[in-house]
Amino acid sequence: MTTRRLLKAVLGPIVSLIAVVAIWQAIVVWGHVPSYIAPRPLAAWQAITQNWSTLWPLTSWTIKETVYGFFAGVVFGIAFGVVMAKVPFLAKTVYPVLIMSQAIPIVALALPLVLILGFSLMPKVVIVAWIVFFPVTVNVLDGLHNVDKDLLTLSQVLGASKWRTFVVIEIPGAITPLFSGLKIGATYAVTGAIIAELAASSGSSLALYQHAQAGQLNAAGVYGTTILMTAIGMGWFLLTLGAEYLCTPWRRRSVARRKWRGARTISAVSL
Amino acid sequence: MKHRILRTALTGVVLASTGVIAAATNASADGLGATKLTTVNFVYDFPGPDMELIPIVVGQDQGFYTKAGISVKTLFPASTSSTSAMLATGAGDVGFITTSDMADAVQAKVPLLSIANYSMTNNWTIFAKPGSKLTAADLKGKKIFSWGDTWTNTMMSFVLKHAGLSANQVTIVTASNDTPLLMNGKIDFDTSTTNYAVPAIQGADKGATPVMFTGSQIGVPNIPIWVYAVTKAYAAAHPATAKAFLSATLAATKWAIANPAAAVNDFVKMYPTSGYTKAYSTTGWSLTIPLLKNSSGKFFTQTSAQWSTLDQGLIATKQIKTAPAPTTYYTNAFVPAQ
Repeated sequence: MTTRRLLKAVLGPIVSLIAVVAIWQAIVVWGHVPSYIAPRPLAAWQAITQNWSTLWPLTSWTIKETVYGFFAGVVFGIAFGVVMAKVPFLAKTVYPVLIMSQAIPIVALALPLVLILGFSLMPKVVIVAWIVFFPVTVNVLDGLHNVDKDLLTLSQVLGASKWRTFVVIEIPGAITPLFSGLKIGATYAVTGAIIAELAASSGSSLALYQHAQAGQLNAAGVYGTTILMTAIGMGWFLLTLGAEYLCTPWRRRSVARRKWRGARTISAVSL
Repeated sequence: MKHRILRTALTGVVLASTGVIAAATNASADGLGATKLTTVNFVYDFPGPDMELIPIVVGQDQGFYTKAGISVKTLFPASTSSTSAMLATGAGDVGFITTSDMADAVQAKVPLLSIANYSMTNNWTIFAKPGSKLTAADLKGKKIFSWGDTWTNTMMSFVLKHAGLSANQVTIVTASNDTPLLMNGKIDFDTSTTNYAVPAIQGADKGATPVMFTGSQIGVPNIPIWVYAVTKAYAAAHPATAKAFLSATLAATKWAIANPAAAVNDFVKMYPTSGYTKAYSTTGWSLTIPLLKNSSGKFFTQTSAQWSTLDQGLIATKQIKTAPAPTTYYTNAFVPAQ
């Protein structure tokens, strides 16, 4: 990507971020909103920087819950999606249960999880994974169901094994929908981590810190924590976006890079 | 044609009768509403109703508020830490908060004013499972439950200072429910007030009484927990309403103490889906009653000593830096004569 194109891509989000902060400042200043109801953006920022030594360990813990839970959810989501796509009977049987799993309020799930798994990282990882796996499963399932039928027929005609067809045709065909699921999961993962922290925590956590700030009517602390939580969610989403960029080169160029062409040709021949 | 005339005439008669009935209804309603009630929005300290709300429920159901010329509407906050904010934003008129919430509000320069104590003594307690051999000296290295609210945080600071422990020598556990965790051994100690925890543990363990550590055993001061609070602006603008509210609430409280079973029935009737059993509310209310009067038999009356004791504790545990004058927190100006 050229510097000019990169600048073009980054400029839009930066301008919208500045606009949000400006609107926030204007509402608080012109609306004469008391500082215990809503702080100015700078005060919220200072609530982060001045308490960074307290906030960083809590933030890194929340990141850990988010990342571990996300990957656990992705692994389960892809596994469910693939198995359900390959075994239609299982899909018919399991799909309603998966939908049901998403109708269970996460908060109601928290206490039994704590009773079974204790206060460690595990119940939080389970809650995040619970939220993440569903969009991944649904998208993988849709992706595998919508692979180009002509390509599948061609591979059959060329005598490709089921495994080879799966690796060379079906997986690449499901990658775009998979990343749609991953992006939804990435945004919800941090929400899941915060809900899990509120539902049951041992020691302190970002969610409990925010709760304590709210109790002390420290609006700057509450908003500052919210900014941190948002940053975790946005950061994780951007990383997923980056992974999508790297994993789907065909969306940017129709012809493979010269150095990869040999390998592709071999793959195609060995079909 | 004949039918059409008949139908038109019938429609006219029906419309006319409806008009007459409506006019009569309005007239009678006007007659009944001769004494206009002043609405008081009361904000509770918890997102749902429980037995500590009984004085307000009785005041509404037994007509104490109507007699005082007010209509009390109960609002429930989104979280246990939202009541002060609801008062500050004008979403509520009178709030039910803890004295530590008041201290935090004053520190944050939120113009709140405590107008009466709800409870007069501190029944905040550390609990261990029924039959447990644990003592108050065994806190080190243990898992202790906290609701994460300001009162528990404040009391835990006193407890740790008294025990000579630092915050990282115990594990504070926060969850959406305490009793199942205590009964299943997932926590070593629970923290709550007797009127909430005892009925819950008894309900979970066939009436067994938990092991309790309280007051000087754990180094917590004997000061009131809950107060009725308003904003300073509300107190200045509506003194008569504040007085009427406390006067009717006092009458309702006395009635609920004299008729505990009927008071619980009123609560169950008004909030049938509160999620609490009648047995829980009955035990809880019976344990709340002794907290409502001071040693002289007085309700509501606040003292400077209760606020300065709280301040001294908050300074000692480094939760606040400077103590405001006790009168910054409270006024007894609206407390009815007893």
